[in-house]
Amino acid sequence: MKTIFLIATDSIRALLYQRLLLGLMVASLALTIVFSILMSSARKNITAAYSSEATHSATATTAATNGMSATEQKRFRASMEQASSFLQAEFYAMASGGGEVVSLFIFSLAVTSEIRRGTIRLTLSKPVSRLQFLLGKYLGGVVVMAGYAMLTCLAIFIFAQSQGLELNPAVKWAPWLMFCDELILGSVAMLLSLFVHPLVASVLALFGGNGLCSLHNPLYYLLPSYQDFSVFSQVLQGSLLSWKDVLFLSLYALDFVIIMLLLALWRFRAKELI
Amino acid sequence: MSAIRTENLCKTYRSGWKREETFAVRMLNLEVKEGEIFGFLGPNGAGKTSTIHLLLNLIRPTSGMAYLFDRPVPETAVHRRLGYLPESVNLHTYYRGRELLNFYAALCGVPVETRSSRVSELLQRLQLEEAAEKSVAKYSKGMAQRIGFAQAMIHDPDLLILDEPTASLDPVGRKEFRDILLELKRRGKTVFISSHILSEVETICDRVAILQNGELKRMGTLQELSADKSTRLVVGSLPAPVLEALAATRAEVTMTQAKIVIRCPDETLRQTVEELLHQHHVGILQRETETQSLEEIFFSSITPPPKL
Repeated sequence: MKTIFLIATDSIRALLYQRLLLGLMVASLALTIVFSILMSSARKNITAAYSSEATHSATATTAATNGMSATEQKRFRASMEQASSFLQAEFYAMASGGGEVVSLFIFSLAVTSEIRRGTIRLTLSKPVSRLQFLLGKYLGGVVVMAGYAMLTCLAIFIFAQSQGLELNPAVKWAPWLMFCDELILGSVAMLLSLFVHPLVASVLALFGGNGLCSLHNPLYYLLPSYQDFSVFSQVLQGSLLSWKDVLFLSLYALDFVIIMLLLALWRFRAKELI
Repeated sequence: MSAIRTENLCKTYRSGWKREETFAVRMLNLEVKEGEIFGFLGPNGAGKTSTIHLLLNLIRPTSGMAYLFDRPVPETAVHRRLGYLPESVNLHTYYRGRELLNFYAALCGVPVETRSSRVSELLQRLQLEEAAEKSVAKYSKGMAQRIGFAQAMIHDPDLLILDEPTASLDPVGRKEFRDILLELKRRGKTVFISSHILSEVETICDRVAILQNGELKRMGTLQELSADKSTRLVVGSLPAPVLEALAATRAEVTMTQAKIVIRCPDETLRQTVEELLHQHHVGILQRETETQSLEEIFFSSITPPPKL
């Protein structure tokens, strides 16, 4: 276990040393925030226009009543809440997209970059088994992705506070689900990178989900399901995630990651490291 | 117990659409005894590095087996007794020199209490003290080679596998390196060294193996491998009858002011000459067995490549 932690620590250090990765993470977060601020200001403009129009119409038709009717106010509030949820979900959809790219970058290169640079030879000449090496590399990636998820979590909180948005219950689970999604994606990318070029592995992992298969297709049950982790679509559908749903999705992610890692280990054990 | 043993070790690579086979190592049977410095020689593409990779379990043999200290190489535990320096040292460039050695020491299970002193000792021994706090990315080739050697020795292993260890070192560095290897030998450590620098191997190695096209051509001590087994007998003076008798043989007599050297090209003749000298009460001052140089042995062992 100590060896796995040592490899993981080394892996974290290697990842943080990569300026490209750090730049990718910062750019992903920055783009998400900028896009969300733009969306938010657009929402405010629409709200202001809607509000003045409603007030004008109300004044013209019913001079006796002051402002909007109760029904209009209710509808207005509902649409504002929906817009707020939409904004938060959109924020996470953006952050999740960025996270997926970061995850693919980390996991598809975790082992292959060591093989390409030849540093793996020194590490494996020490009393380090291939299992320990692979798990250490994955664990290092998991820690970095957890850090990224926490940063995103902090960003949504600050964003929601600054924009005066109430956090949607479904959105509260978003960082965790995003994290699980990225780990599944990462494990698939890591496995595939042991067979093909990391870039090809990343593309295959990203577009190889079961979203395009029907329920009757056996591949549906074999390929990873990414869309279930998308808070965006759930918010749009108006569904609220219960803790049971989240637990089920977490177990699914854990299962899938374990299977992918076992397959990766099977491949890695036989791989020639030259 | 042997430090390294291979049994009919074979490695073939398949490449291209036709999956054509290329032999890297063919039926290699090696045995390196504990406590010896073993030279592993061969021209480029002979299969030296492939053999080392097989010994380190970085690649899998097509057939045959390799053992380190009588344990099959896939057993990770045996790596506790092994130190390895690759031909091109690729290091984790995000570490400083001292941190890098600390990392490898931790991987090798060097206790925390002794880790720091061991790292400092090696940095001092390999003259890297000043570069200890410098990023490894800024190291020169020679410095990278030195720190690579330090990481190989960090846990004081019983067996060192060195692939072209002095390729990037200057003459001073090479001399220091030789001294370290001889010191390790005195301490009973085994060193398996692959090198192109024959003069270096000749100076330090107890035994050598010569490989070509993946096949083991020769293996043994320099004396065992030497085809020329002539002996030089040095005497003070030679009576006339002995000189006459020697003239009738294939022995070559060289006279200088101080001594007379009789060169006997083979063992039978040496015995005859010694009997003759004994009969005439001529004392032998010195007896030397001449051997071929490693370079001569090397070139006589390998098939020369076709001329361009």
